[in-house]
Amino acid sequence: MNKRLPIQEIWVYLSGSPLLALILTLAAYQIGYALYMRSQRNPLVNPVAIAVLLVAVCLEALDMPYAKYFEGAQFVHFLLGTATVSLAIPIYRGLNGLRGRVFPLLLALVAGGLTSILSAVGIAHWLGADHAIVGAMVSKSVTAPIAMGIAERLGYSPTLTAVFAVITGILGAMLASFVLDGLGLKVWWQRGFAIGVAAHGLGTSRAFSVHPEAGTYASLAMGLHGILGAVAIPLLAGYIPTF
Amino acid sequence: MIPGLVLILLWQGAGELVSHFFLPHIPGPVVGLVLLLCFLSVRDRVPDSMALVSDAFSQHLGLLFVPAATGVILFLPQLRQHALAVIVALLASVLLTVAVTALVLKLVGPGGEGE
Repeated sequence: MNKRLPIQEIWVYLSGSPLLALILTLAAYQIGYALYMRSQRNPLVNPVAIAVLLVAVCLEALDMPYAKYFEGAQFVHFLLGTATVSLAIPIYRGLNGLRGRVFPLLLALVAGGLTSILSAVGIAHWLGADHAIVGAMVSKSVTAPIAMGIAERLGYSPTLTAVFAVITGILGAMLASFVLDGLGLKVWWQRGFAIGVAAHGLGTSRAFSVHPEAGTYASLAMGLHGILGAVAIPLLAGYIPTF
Repeated sequence: MIPGLVLILLWQGAGELVSHFFLPHIPGPVVGLVLLLCFLSVRDRVPDSMALVSDAFSQHLGLLFVPAATGVILFLPQLRQHALAVIVALLASVLLTVAVTALVLKLVGPGGEGE
C-alpha cells in the first residue's frame, strides 16, 4: 500500500547504525580536503571548517540530533586519544634535533601558552561573555582531547571547549602564516613551533602540509603544550579569574 | 602498520590505567604520550610501522576533530548571543599567541639555517 515504506525502513535501519554518521563525517572531510588540495593548499580553505559546515547542514536537513550523530561519530572521535599518544613519535624525532634550542623553545612555549589563556579569557570577559563561555576559553589553545579533559576537571563544558579549541586551530591554520610573514620569521622550525603552540593539531596539520620540519616542530609544540597545559592549567586555574 | 597501531593502543591503555589510578588530574592520552616517549628513548629508534601510523594521524588530524567540532550546533543560540566576544577573543588570542611565541623565538633563539 504505502510506497514509501521500504525506503523508510532502510532509513530507520541506516540511521540506527554508526554507518551513517561515519560516512557523513568522512565524506564531508574528504570534500573539504579535496577543496583544500584544489586551492593549492590555501590556508583560508580549511578542510575541517568545510567538513563541520557540511555535517551541520546535513544534520539539519536530515533532522538528526547531534547526540545521535555523535553515537556513530564517536569512533572517529575516540581516535583523538590515540592520535595524542602517537604525538610521541614526532616529539621524539624533534628531540633529536633540538641541540641548543631547548631553552628558547620552552620560554616561547610558556610565553605563548600564557598569552593564549590571558588574552582569550580577558577579552571574552571584557566584551561581556558569560561564565560558561569564558571558562571554556581557558584551555582552548591546548589540543582538543587534552583541552576537553582539562575543562571537565575544572567544571567547564568539554564540548564548548572542544568547539573553541577547533575554531582556534582553524583560525591559527588560516592566519598564522600571515602573522609570521608580517614578523619576518623565515626559519621553518620557528614558524612550525609558533603555529603548534597557538593552533595545536590543526596548525600542525597545516604545518606538515607546508614543510616537514615545520610540521615536526609544530607537533613538538602541540605535544609539549598539551603536557604542560594538562599539568599547569589545573594548578593555575585558581589564579585565573573567569568571573 | 598494524603492529605499530597495536603498540600505540597498548601505550594508550597503559596511560589510561596510570592516569586512572595514580595521576587522576592528567588525561590518560597525555600519560600514554609520555610513556611512549620514554619507550622510544630507551629503544632509541622509532619502529617503522609506528612511524607509518603516526604520519597518517599527523596528516589527517583534522578529520578527528570533526565530530567534536560539530557540537557547535548545540551552542548556536548561546554563541550568537555572545558572538562578538567569542569571535574577537578567539581571533585576537590566536594571533597574539602566534606573534608572542614567534617573537620570543626570534629574540632568544639561536639563528636558524634559513629556508
